[in-house]
Amino acid sequence: MTKRREHFDEDLDLEASEKVSADLSTLFKPQLSVPPEVDRAILERAGTHFAGRGFAKSGRRRFRWVSLWKVAAAAAVVILAFSLNLTNKPAPTVYYADLAKVGAVDFDRNGRVDILDAFKLARQIELASNAGTNLDINGDGLVNRGDVDVVALAAVSLDKGVL
Amino acid sequence: MNSDQELIELANQGDCEAFGILYHRYRDWVHRLAWRFTGNRQDALDVLQETFTYLLGKFPGFELTAAMTTFLYPVVKHISFTIRRKNRRFASENQVLSELVAPALQETEHSRAELAAVLAALAENQREILLMRFVDDMSLRQIADALKIPMGTVKSRLHHALKALRNDRRTRDYFLE
Repeated sequence: MTKRREHFDEDLDLEASEKVSADLSTLFKPQLSVPPEVDRAILERAGTHFAGRGFAKSGRRRFRWVSLWKVAAAAAVVILAFSLNLTNKPAPTVYYADLAKVGAVDFDRNGRVDILDAFKLARQIELASNAGTNLDINGDGLVNRGDVDVVALAAVSLDKGVL
Repeated sequence: MNSDQELIELANQGDCEAFGILYHRYRDWVHRLAWRFTGNRQDALDVLQETFTYLLGKFPGFELTAAMTTFLYPVVKHISFTIRRKNRRFASENQVLSELVAPALQETEHSRAELAAVLAALAENQREILLMRFVDDMSLRQIADALKIPMGTVKSRLHHALKALRNDRRTRDYFLE
């Protein structure tokens, strides 16, 4: 395949005399001046642009430090909260002796608090779709296995469970 | 003296003074080019402001991948045409050139006036490249990049423009040794 000859490869073909260049410049490079107020307007706009877009190095650095500090502080609070287990409500103190005296935990109404009451409570909790607060034996705001455990513990820790 | 690339890098980091240096470096070039496109002094000043406002908006993050004049040329051209349309100046390119040429006819330099007349008769795309080469001092590569046309096309149009000048009796003398 022959190489296609490029026309006008000779640079001489594309040159012009100095007089042509000079006269073209005279025609098309008139001595126009830009009024100083135009310079001022453009440079003032530049000043506003560079000042307002967070270009300033110190400003940008300050912003970075502030944001980093906030993130670090937030992280520390979260870590502290988890380590202290602040999200959990403290378990209420349950006085088993007092609990045994409360007739409400004698669920089978046999006159004593024993393991059968724990079973009955468990059954009631399982069946009740909307367990009332009277089943919240340990007072933690929830009706669940924790309440059953309390009754069971009371039953085994008391003296034969006699009310 | 900082190069254009160095100034742009500084401006990207927020150096307003660097932008100011760039402005002064290219202000007159843009202004003259705008005047050539608009044929009107006030419009040329509007184009100057719009051009550098456009450039300003590129910062931060501006990347110059060619010569500054290569980047600015199509910007000035586009803004000039927009402003001419907006100001209801619907003169064709040849009419604008005639306005530019008219003052030359009053000059005592007869040859310069005839040069202007021959230029006015050239095809627009040939005249544009001739002026970019010999008035705007752009290289052939810069012209090709600015107009987004092949180098071969640039050379062809420039060749035909110079040939027209060489063959016209009014401007033939420019090419005599």
